[in-house]
Amino acid sequence: MNYTEGQDKDSKNQNMAGSVILSPDLKFIRDIKRLGGETVKKCYQCATCSGICPLSSENSPFPRKEMIMTQLGMKNELFRDSDIWYCHNCNDCSKLCPRGARPGDILGALRAKFIMENSVPRFLGKIVTNPSYTLFAFFIPAFLLFAILVSLGHLSIPDGKIVYSRLFPVESIDLFFSSFVAISLIMYIISLRRFWLRLRKEDNPQTERFGKALIQAVAEFLLHRKFSKCDVNSDRKNGHLMVFYGFVGLFITTSWVAFYYWFFHINTPISLGDPLKWVANTSALLLIIGTLILIANRLKDKNVNSRSSSFDWTFAIIVLLIGLTGLSTEIVRLINITDLAYPLYFIHLLFVFYIIVYFPYSKLAHFGYRLLAITFHKMAGTDVT
Amino acid sequence: MAQPAKKAILVIGGGISGVSVAVEAAEAGYNVILVEKNPYLGGRVAQHYRYFPKLCPPYCGLEINFRRIKQNPNISFYTLSEVTEISGSAGDFNVKIRQFPRYVNSKCTCCSRCVDVCPETRVNEFNFGMDTTKAIYLPHEMAFPMKYAIDDRYCKGAECGKCVEVCKYDAIELDAKETSFTLNNIGSIVFATGWNLYDMKKVDNLGFGRVKNVITNMMMERLAAPNGPTDGKIERPSDGKEVKKVAFVQCAGSRDENHLNYCSAICCMSSLKESTYIREKNPDSQVSIFYIDLRTPGKYEDFLKKVEKDEKIKMIKGKVAKIEQASASDDVIVTFEDVINMRKMEERFDMVVLAAGMEAQTKMKSLPGKLQLEANGFIFPTQAEGIYSAGVAKKPGDVTSSVQDATASALRAIQTAFRK
Repeated sequence: MNYTEGQDKDSKNQNMAGSVILSPDLKFIRDIKRLGGETVKKCYQCATCSGICPLSSENSPFPRKEMIMTQLGMKNELFRDSDIWYCHNCNDCSKLCPRGARPGDILGALRAKFIMENSVPRFLGKIVTNPSYTLFAFFIPAFLLFAILVSLGHLSIPDGKIVYSRLFPVESIDLFFSSFVAISLIMYIISLRRFWLRLRKEDNPQTERFGKALIQAVAEFLLHRKFSKCDVNSDRKNGHLMVFYGFVGLFITTSWVAFYYWFFHINTPISLGDPLKWVANTSALLLIIGTLILIANRLKDKNVNSRSSSFDWTFAIIVLLIGLTGLSTEIVRLINITDLAYPLYFIHLLFVFYIIVYFPYSKLAHFGYRLLAITFHKMAGTDVT
Repeated sequence: MAQPAKKAILVIGGGISGVSVAVEAAEAGYNVILVEKNPYLGGRVAQHYRYFPKLCPPYCGLEINFRRIKQNPNISFYTLSEVTEISGSAGDFNVKIRQFPRYVNSKCTCCSRCVDVCPETRVNEFNFGMDTTKAIYLPHEMAFPMKYAIDDRYCKGAECGKCVEVCKYDAIELDAKETSFTLNNIGSIVFATGWNLYDMKKVDNLGFGRVKNVITNMMMERLAAPNGPTDGKIERPSDGKEVKKVAFVQCAGSRDENHLNYCSAICCMSSLKESTYIREKNPDSQVSIFYIDLRTPGKYEDFLKKVEKDEKIKMIKGKVAKIEQASASDDVIVTFEDVINMRKMEERFDMVVLAAGMEAQTKMKSLPGKLQLEANGFIFPTQAEGIYSAGVAKKPGDVTSSVQDATASALRAIQTAFRK
């Protein structure tokens, strides 16, 4: 074998005699261990995991093959593997694993590593996925938002009734976020396309067209049908569903507010009786409760079937904080504590920035990759429904 | 009661290891006392249809040993007995024994008139519950000592008394009581306490006890044995159908940190051997052995080669992940990944045999004396002076290695007890 560090070629090459030479990427193996996959070398390839996985299909069983590919440092092969994303992290495999190799955690680490390396630009992937850079990741929006305040001359807390647009006028905040979101969305689409092109479509005969498969995948996603197959982690489905719809609701809310302002000149704060507020508050509650369920579920499961990586924990806490700061920003405004309201609003905006602008580089990026993985399996006829 | 005047070696457990320790030491000229909890000697070996290395019926080996016991005045043994307390030190232990009543004395001729009239039935543990006997029973047809016993969990006692009425030899004593006595002047002690099959109900995904026709490897031995519940016909338990398609599930509980965190050492050979039973007795049959890796050390490799030549025996790399009942049928569905071909499959079988592992007896019981156990419950090789272990009490293994270990332990026991 040739041992190489961080190389970008295929780990499997044929030599002139025609035999396969493996070139393990040792740095990759170390990175996976650091990202929560420290148990990968315990695997002895018994294949219980592939047998028990409710999503593992006849022609595409996993995660046994991912375990040995990780042990062998076959980074490029793994990055072409749709099953890493097809996995819904239900941990049935880790529960039955006779060696405590926690295949569920290994796949989680592979996903984190993939987001880190596949996202464009790559340095953002590194900053967002590595918990030790989290503070720096928050520093960027803090600096930018503060720069806006300086340019507007809004450096003291406004007097009178609390209206957040007195701190950041709607025009400036909408322009700020929509430009960043647009850039980030383009980056996300580029990243997803890179992933799609990597997938080894030539290995499988295509039985379904892309468009139709994608629509089916989205429909399934909306109901979280695949989550229902999990045995160990059944509570997770509800939590995940609530977080998902919480985000969807908040996205609708934000667009709605912009719509009111730009088309009807209705300014914030919007009255509590407005249907917009119903959607907004329900979504916020869904997000908070859903995240709490996911966190509680993780604490309950802690070290039993899965050891969540710090990447996962940091992210779960940030999602919880975006909900909590958002809700308290509203409450503090309603009970009129001026000194607290504006700083809270500022902090909330940092979390908003983190979640929506860093979307392609954070754990949330799994949304698109998983959707594409399901689409891929549907096209190849290997989808488990 | 019994107080050995002369110094003796105590052997706990009358299976193949304990019996071997006893005859080796006795034939070297030393006194030995053997204590066995069952009503018969021979332990797990007696329950086999055939055993390694020569694939002979268990009585080939056991009978020779029993004759050696009978002929040797240096050996005395207690059945239905257990050691409750050990005190003293190397060279001079005092050992408390509790003996449960057999209710049948040595006048018994095994004429079986008592069995004919006995109205109560008991679950036959010798056949792993696959059939029943009467409350008065012969443990098995080659039992040593050849005496009946009464299972007092089932016997109604004197209020029934039908067996006493028909016994012409005055052999039945329904009023017998449990006794306790102390053996003094015990020079050394050998634990040959052996093993239990790991409880397969704990391995939930393999369906034992829940899915019909999922049996253990030891049950398979009894199904094949001519003195077993089916008179040696390999039929599946639920409906007596002759089995044509059988799966063996290796590492059922073994090499699994959730169950037995070690390799039980014998299950691969045991499944290879049992697959030959099925192929010999049911000619149209086919067998699939699901394994992680087949462990056939040393000469056993030859046996693997031999079995592999049979095209009807398939070896499939991939541990079974799930066992379920086929719908509206007594067949069994097995889910696995065929690792070599990278296919996840479900396959239907008539019967599934779980290659269950060995669990140390010492793991379960509270033990007399201060015995040091290793993490998995087996006896740690080095103990306080004068206390030794032999066979599977020390580590999982086959008959050959257990007997070799027994001989070695006999020598150590002699050295401590009779050192000049």
